[in-house]
Amino acid sequence: MAHIPVDLQYTANKQSDSRPPIAALRNVSKVFGSVIAADALNLSIAQGEFLSFLGPSGCGKTTALRMLAGFEAPTSGDVLIDGQAVNDLEPYRRPVNMVFQSYALFPHLNVSDNIGYGLRQRRPRLSRGEIAGKVGRALEIVRLTGFESRRVWEMSGGQQQRVALARAIVNEPKLLLLDEPLAALDRKLRKEMQIELQDLQRQIGITFVLVTHDQEEALSLSDRICVMRGGRIVQTGSPQDLYDQPKSRYVADFVGTSNFFDGTIDAVVDGIATLATRSGLRLQGAATAGLSVGAAVCLSVRPEQIRMSRDAVPGGLACTVHNRIFLGEHTEYLVQHPALGTVNVLTPRLIESGDMSFQTGEQVHINWNPGRALVLSPD
Amino acid sequence: MTRSERNWLLVAPAAAWFVVMLVLPLSVIFVFSFGERGPAGGYVPAFTLEQYANLPARFTAFKNTMILAPVGTIAAMLIAYPLAYQLAVRTDPKWKTILLVLVIVPFWTSILIRSYAWIFILGGRGLPALLEMVGIEGVRLIYTPFAVLIGIIYGYLPLMVFPIYVSLDRLDKRLLEASADLGAKPLRTFLTVTLPLSIPGVATGCMLVFILLMGEFLIPALLGGGKVFFVGNALVDLFLQSRNWAFGSAVAFTLIVIMLVTVTVYMRVIARLQSGRDDVSIM
Repeated sequence: MAHIPVDLQYTANKQSDSRPPIAALRNVSKVFGSVIAADALNLSIAQGEFLSFLGPSGCGKTTALRMLAGFEAPTSGDVLIDGQAVNDLEPYRRPVNMVFQSYALFPHLNVSDNIGYGLRQRRPRLSRGEIAGKVGRALEIVRLTGFESRRVWEMSGGQQQRVALARAIVNEPKLLLLDEPLAALDRKLRKEMQIELQDLQRQIGITFVLVTHDQEEALSLSDRICVMRGGRIVQTGSPQDLYDQPKSRYVADFVGTSNFFDGTIDAVVDGIATLATRSGLRLQGAATAGLSVGAAVCLSVRPEQIRMSRDAVPGGLACTVHNRIFLGEHTEYLVQHPALGTVNVLTPRLIESGDMSFQTGEQVHINWNPGRALVLSPD
Repeated sequence: MTRSERNWLLVAPAAAWFVVMLVLPLSVIFVFSFGERGPAGGYVPAFTLEQYANLPARFTAFKNTMILAPVGTIAAMLIAYPLAYQLAVRTDPKWKTILLVLVIVPFWTSILIRSYAWIFILGGRGLPALLEMVGIEGVRLIYTPFAVLIGIIYGYLPLMVFPIYVSLDRLDKRLLEASADLGAKPLRTFLTVTLPLSIPGVATGCMLVFILLMGEFLIPALLGGGKVFFVGNALVDLFLQSRNWAFGSAVAFTLIVIMLVTVTVYMRVIARLQSGRDDVSIM
């Protein structure tokens, strides 16, 4: 992939808020029989941004994507592309292209005929030369020059993936929709393709809308993530926002991993809430808006925010090391607290040199900075 | 026992069957075709090309077969395709099985009885009588090539529907979505995706029906009324009526050669149409 000057790389991000939306969902619902697949979705997609729909299967993310593509018509609400309501516009009339989950490449066509398929549908017709030129450039972008006359089923998964991408971007769509495009690839290839996708998006400046159930993929690729659950959008924000300021336990759980402790709010002082667990422990975390004293809440503490030591610390919790999992750059500890149960602690290798490493069965004390733990609504 | 001995042993029953059921009868026909008819019928050994020289006497039977078999095949294909398409692509999955069974239902009764039904439908008191009621008079259907064609299409339609249905049913529906997504209107999608990908089914169906039609004799005998006869009818006549086995063998052998040549050419053409495609094969 061509090198992109660093100063140009993030323009899409920075301007995403000020640019007019290229597409939007306005109160969009979709009902299949008795199932509400999408429930009053509201969302604006800015020109040039990389947006992901993230959620478990059945959360409505694919339905949202298919409504943008035109394969499903909304039961109510409006789908807007470039300011125009396109609810009843057939897929073949939309300036939108999709990369399908299993690629859906045409088995009877070779690589360049697959990529040129969309160009051959254009009216007025493009000349053979124009089509060949565009196909050639698309192949260059996905680094498949020389594969023009290959049969698609002779290619590896990663190569097929790139043909599918080229087949979509060659049409210069206003929106590129990607339905779990990397799900069929092995882990290493997936990592590579993630980087390529991101580079590609910055290079060609097309708006990308990705659907995935893989939080890591969404976090590493997107400018903005839309977390979905049961047909609803539960939170939209940048990857960092979602990770640092989840609005609910669901988001905190789905985006990254976290320890959750249930309790009720006892007091709130200077933005720090103290909650009482059922076993009578007092735990502290940053209060989020809308939670008052007496409310049933959930404290979320990310594993990497927990400090662990051999010596007792004020406000620390005494635990026993239950399990130690070596992860290369990190070590994950599962420590047992008599009242809280298993707590997940992640320590970077750098800190954990020499005798700092803890052994299974050892007595330790854990604590965290209350400002780095979040008191959330429990659902 | 070595591995290769064991392989031979496994192949032996099939090979024996092949020799007894195919090679032997064919050899007999081949040898008989150079013989002569005995005084009381049957076969007398000889070596003469007389029987082959006599083939033009059965020219009409060959002509009828060579016209009606391909026309019937193509007509059955043109009718079967939309039906198979409707069943495979458009039909709600919960109705598919029932509708497919309905396609096979005619096979539950003998083709003989079903052809008799057509004799009545096409005969004087059937369709022509109905047409007379609306003022169209003097239409004669039964015992014409048209009647035979109708019978052929009717009898062989299910055999054509199934292979086409299978190829269309197997077609990945996401390919159709991908085509629409890339800007192709429904007709374009059909012509550039659905049709090329269903060619294997169409080719199989056509081959199946064509080969069977080349040997057909019942439908022309019943609906052609002795006026429209196939090579099959000529064979029935030569072997069972006039007992001219030598000439019958020559006719039969000629038919086999014509069939082999046609099918070989046909498979070459299909192979070229599918050039380089390994994902699908004809049979």
